[in-house]
Amino acid sequence: MAVEAIAVATTDLASIQASQMGMKAIGAGLAVGLTGVGTGVAEMGIGAAAVGAIAENKDFFGLGLLFTVIPETIVIFGLVVGLLLLF
Amino acid sequence: MLKPKQMSRLLIAASRDQMGPVVAELYRHNLFHIEEYVEGGAEGYEGFKIGSPLSGASEASVDLLKIRAIENAVSINGDDMDSAQACPRTELRSKIERELPVLEREVEELTQKRSKLDTKQKEFEQKIAEITPFVSIPVDLELYRGYTGFTVYAGYVTGEVTLSVPNEMHISKGKEKTFIVTVVPAGQRSEVERALQEAAFQSVPIPVESGAPQARIDYYTGQIAALSKEIADTNAKLDAVKQQHAGFLVACEEYLKAEVEQTEAPLRFATTKQTFIAEGWVPSDKVDEISAALTKVTGGKVYVTTLPTDLEHDAVPVEYNNPKFAQPAQMLMDIYSRPKYTEVDPTLMLAIVFPIFFGLIVGDVGYGLIFLALYFGLKKMMKGEDGQKLLTVFRNASISSIIFGLLFNEFLGFKFSQLVGWICGFAGAVNPIEHYESLMFSRHLLIGSTEAGGHGPAIPALMIMAIWIGILHISLGRGLGMYNHAKQDHGIHRIKAVVANFGWLAVMWGILIAIWSNVVMPYMFDLTGLPVIAAGFNLGTFIGGALILGGVICIAWDSVLEVIELPTIISHVLSYARLVAVGLSSVAIAMVVNYMAIGMFINPGMADLSLVGIVMIVVGLVIFLFGHTLNIALGLLGGGLHSIRLHYVEFFTKFYKGGGIRYVPFGMKRKFTEE
Repeated sequence: MAVEAIAVATTDLASIQASQMGMKAIGAGLAVGLTGVGTGVAEMGIGAAAVGAIAENKDFFGLGLLFTVIPETIVIFGLVVGLLLLF
Repeated sequence: MLKPKQMSRLLIAASRDQMGPVVAELYRHNLFHIEEYVEGGAEGYEGFKIGSPLSGASEASVDLLKIRAIENAVSINGDDMDSAQACPRTELRSKIERELPVLEREVEELTQKRSKLDTKQKEFEQKIAEITPFVSIPVDLELYRGYTGFTVYAGYVTGEVTLSVPNEMHISKGKEKTFIVTVVPAGQRSEVERALQEAAFQSVPIPVESGAPQARIDYYTGQIAALSKEIADTNAKLDAVKQQHAGFLVACEEYLKAEVEQTEAPLRFATTKQTFIAEGWVPSDKVDEISAALTKVTGGKVYVTTLPTDLEHDAVPVEYNNPKFAQPAQMLMDIYSRPKYTEVDPTLMLAIVFPIFFGLIVGDVGYGLIFLALYFGLKKMMKGEDGQKLLTVFRNASISSIIFGLLFNEFLGFKFSQLVGWICGFAGAVNPIEHYESLMFSRHLLIGSTEAGGHGPAIPALMIMAIWIGILHISLGRGLGMYNHAKQDHGIHRIKAVVANFGWLAVMWGILIAIWSNVVMPYMFDLTGLPVIAAGFNLGTFIGGALILGGVICIAWDSVLEVIELPTIISHVLSYARLVAVGLSSVAIAMVVNYMAIGMFINPGMADLSLVGIVMIVVGLVIFLFGHTLNIALGLLGGGLHSIRLHYVEFFTKFYKGGGIRYVPFGMKRKFTEE
């Protein structure tokens, strides 16, 4: 009886751990994926405007690039959260 | 190094009859950056006027225009050509007078003929397009016209159409729209038009042609074919001109350009009736050379002196001053912005750190070798100076990728040591690096059967490494920021700006010390052992807190609004995580490609060498090639863009302003002509 109960408990534990790991993986995926979408949406407008400005005046390149990549912070935070979740 | 070349402001004054020799001599030396004279009574320049061009300016301009028109017509570009046998100037001059008009006429005739033919071809194509809808209607084209009692409609409708008036209608159903032709009595037009409007009728013009539509299309197609042949003939003739005269044309262009620039130079000088004054900038170490040359050429009838430089108000042109290996990186600097004269020139740092970042991201011996091969291929194809510079940067990055590939032990997603073992196995030798894992933290992921039993990537260690790089890079940037402000600004503003930069540094290191005092992290300092002072926090936490507080006060003293930028400290440091993230993704793609190609197709195919097996091997090879080609493209884009971005955004924003004036010396580097 007792041996069986322990066996059941360990398999339960193993499956719980596995599902926890899976949840973490899903969480990490969501963190990176959703922040990526957010960054993309934010960069869409800035990037279009920056390209327009650079077409008018090439000197704007540095500043344009700078503005365009500002929202990248979001996805980097997402990446960090994802890595923290997994490791 | 780290500073632009030192410039001196030179003033040249002489009588007007010396203008020719002075201009020619300055042009030959290619060192004098002319400061253009603007009329407006600047102090000491009362009564001066802008000069007028030397003789021969307009003739040379006209000839230059002609040459450029011909070059355009036969598409020659001097930048794409290797420098050729230099041609003496006098010979070129007489050749221009003799040959240019003939050549011009020839090319003009050919281009005019070509454009006429082109127009005709377009016309015929238009006609074919007009007739095409009528092909499916079995009526000759002349029958559509010439009625007084009837009206003809032709066009597209979206649905069915039924007319209540007597009519004759031909319908040809297309995929989306139906083409109809209908003839109705002219008196009932309004009714018909209403009915057609309901069916969303789009009218099509009826072509003014006669005969069967298909026959007309065939006729025009034949005409177009004949025209295309004639155009090809004309192009071949133009090509022949290009082959024959390309060298002459580029030499002429260069010669005339030099001529025009020299004869028009007085437009940038200040002149009186008898004298002229030219002001400009010369690298300080060349002042003596220029002065001596000018004195010699004018026989001493010139006054040359250096004026004091006022760093705040003078627009000093900026010329880089870098060791040879760093010079190609100047191109990457110019893309962003040229440094100001008073500013630190970070080209050297960029030239060293950019390849390291690129190598960290790509870090693969195989890809590095492919990049190097690409470099040698492209070097032959690209002729322009900027392109060559970019390629040299690319070469350095490729070499760095190979070095980091050895450190990471990677080869196209395999382990490099495995590959060496495989080759040694063929040669019957012992693998010298069989037990080599990697000198850097491993990036090998656990993908596919090829990696069974491995111990996976050292992600935390890699992340910490990236963050350390970020901390050091940003600290360096802030340090340079302090230096720049100390050098450029004045008064209270200078102190404030330096203190604010120090504040940013203090906040960053304060945060770090506070973290280290409370959390143990691998490969970072462990300050948790410091004595506890109050409320369970140890000394380190308080030091960190004090640094943060002091730093914020320093920042706010300069500008309160800047305080809202504080989170960028964290986001900029974490941004360096991309060095690891982009690299890992590239490794992952390579390993997945290898697993798919070898594990899923080639190995099963090799096990069973039937027809199916061979097909599987071929499919595997295709996947391998396609996948790695894609990954190479991604690696180039990712490696290059992210490395340069870390410089532009995270590094330069800390200290670099840019906006310096480019040093454009008066003169040219001759490629096709002699001095």
